[in-house]
Amino acid sequence: MPSWIKRGALALALVAVAVAAEFAMPVIIPDTAWRVLVQQALVAVVIALSLNVINGMAGQFSIGHAGFVGIGAYTSAVVASHMHARLGSPTDYSFAHSFMIVPPAIIAAGLVAAVFGFLLGLPSLRLKGDYLAIVTLGFAEIFRLLIATSSPGAPEGTLSHTIGQLGGQQGYGGPEDRGIAQYAGGFWLVGGAITAIIIAWRLKFSGWGRALRALRENEVAAAAVGVDPTSYKVTSFVISAIGGGIAGALLAGMRDGTPTVQPDQFNFFFSFDAITMVILGGSGSVSGAVLGGIFVTVTNRIIEQLQRLDSVEAFRIAHPDVDLNALRMVVYAAVLVALMVMRPSGVFGEREIIKGRRGPAEKPA
Amino acid sequence: MAALDLKHVSKRFGGLKAVSEVSFTVPERSIFGLIGPNGAGKTTVFNLVTGVYDFEGSITFGDTSLRGKKPAQIARLGIGRTFQNIRLFQSLTVLENVLVACEKRRRAHLGAALLRSPLFFRDEADMAEQAMKLLAIFKLEHMADEISTSLSYGNQRRLEIARAMMLKPKMLLLDEPAAGMNYGEAEGLKEQIRWLRDEFEITVVLVEHNMQVVMGVCEDIHVLDHGETIAHGPPDKIKKDPKVLAAYLGEETEEEAQSEAAAGEASP
Ligand SMILES: Nc1ncnc2c1ncn2[C@@H]1O[C@H](COP(=O)(O)OP(=O)(O)OP(=O)(O)O)[C@@H](O)[C@H]1O
Ligand SMILES: [Mg+2]
Repeated sequence: MPSWIKRGALALALVAVAVAAEFAMPVIIPDTAWRVLVQQALVAVVIALSLNVINGMAGQFSIGHAGFVGIGAYTSAVVASHMHARLGSPTDYSFAHSFMIVPPAIIAAGLVAAVFGFLLGLPSLRLKGDYLAIVTLGFAEIFRLLIATSSPGAPEGTLSHTIGQLGGQQGYGGPEDRGIAQYAGGFWLVGGAITAIIIAWRLKFSGWGRALRALRENEVAAAAVGVDPTSYKVTSFVISAIGGGIAGALLAGMRDGTPTVQPDQFNFFFSFDAITMVILGGSGSVSGAVLGGIFVTVTNRIIEQLQRLDSVEAFRIAHPDVDLNALRMVVYAAVLVALMVMRPSGVFGEREIIKGRRGPAEKPA
Repeated sequence: MAALDLKHVSKRFGGLKAVSEVSFTVPERSIFGLIGPNGAGKTTVFNLVTGVYDFEGSITFGDTSLRGKKPAQIARLGIGRTFQNIRLFQSLTVLENVLVACEKRRRAHLGAALLRSPLFFRDEADMAEQAMKLLAIFKLEHMADEISTSLSYGNQRRLEIARAMMLKPKMLLLDEPAAGMNYGEAEGLKEQIRWLRDEFEITVVLVEHNMQVVMGVCEDIHVLDHGETIAHGPPDKIKKDPKVLAAYLGEETEEEAQSEAAAGEASP
């Protein structure tokens, strides 16, 4: 069978899976809470895969991925909600209409995030390790605080008033605060996750991915064979930012998610979760990022549920000063420490579940 | 015609003049030796030519001035190099190490890779074939899928040369390729350097302490000591040059031993 037929058939099959997900998800998973969990896991896969480009393949250390995701979420929320209003605000968020809303929202989110990825990629040329990490953290926090401290009630003409149109600390709920449009159902979420996996895989097992890994291993030697550190590092930041921005768009538009975006969703803990997803699975591994994303999402939910137990509730009332949310950090810290002791390079290392083209997947390290 | 031309080239590191007022011309398709005791400034000259550091004076490669050019640009101009303290892409396989060096020649760029277009597959197959040919020349083809650090020291050195050759360079800079080799291996290396020059019509500049190799293969030799030129000429003349002999004999003194330790740490 010629390869183009095979590839075409595979593409059709994947589209069919995504379409099936759109209609089957509410049937198979009638419980909204479970559906939200699945949708969050799908978004987490995109988040982890996009961060993996910087933190895994390029070997840099960004702790500000929340910034890109947040920028994507806000951008898409604004675009989608306005287009939704233009359609006359139908209440059913139909699958047919989603084709008019989701693509522009995703593209806008990706583009705006790409601009910030480019700007953040520039210092990565001069800064290494901890210093770059601090810059990425600063970027994400500035983004979050700019939105959180602005207010639509501020005097007209001020920056606070302008940014305040995004709702400030209260969060953004679309024009006239009627809730943001939520068109990203199973089709877009499953399709997004599948597309992200395919792109991540092809990036890794391409000349570009190889050169990026070479740069990570030895910058002087890579430059000496014509690999320009500048263009590769900046490109990796831009690609990662685009992925993060699109993940944000999916997160904001998630069919069963909350109809607002809040600045505090994108705090440091969000970035920390993203890092955990990448490190747990194995930095540089596509399979690892996918499983890491799912694992962290599910674990977060389990910990959340545990907090609802009567006994825990009683403990909370008895000790109001104990922040049970911080428990999550304790759990991850423990898991990460245990992992670093037993498998320092994550569950998969840089390997994959299945073979890639001439990649390290072929040879266990 | 000159492949490489240095005029009054100097380099300071703080108070230390690592290279001072060095001028020499490397004839095209020659095998040219750059020698001198430890800390003489040989590796620094390579680093200046390949754009790792900026410099005073002028360096021209063919007709192109190398002033202000970055390492990747210089590599693309056609200067390949190896490193005194081996610099492989450690977690990459032997084949992948070589493949990285053909990124600049690639016709299938990121877009083609993402679409996995026919051009991408053709390109990958072409490049892999070229890389395997080079590996075969250096007798590394049966280790193509090994992780590069699992190779023996001598094979790692040969892999570095193969990687540099994948650039299709016009000039090859070798920094102590014979380090750690025994008599037989060094003889083999001599043959290989001559063969590479003839087969690929390249110019070779060789930094080497192993006199068996230097005197046996170089047509022209430039001698540095403490960053300054102390002699220049064909091997027969250099062998007898009193200044050269004095510089090499003086190497055993305590002062030199200290600068040797410093050079080992500082040079990339
Ligand atoms: N990046 C650097 N910073 C400071 N000093 C340096 C640097 N690179 C080299 N030097 C110094 O410049 C001098 C020349 O060093 P270089 O490495 O060029 O010597 P070499 O001739 O290659 O010696 P060897 O035979 O030991 O390799 C040494 O004194 C070294 O310490
Ligand atoms: Mg040296």
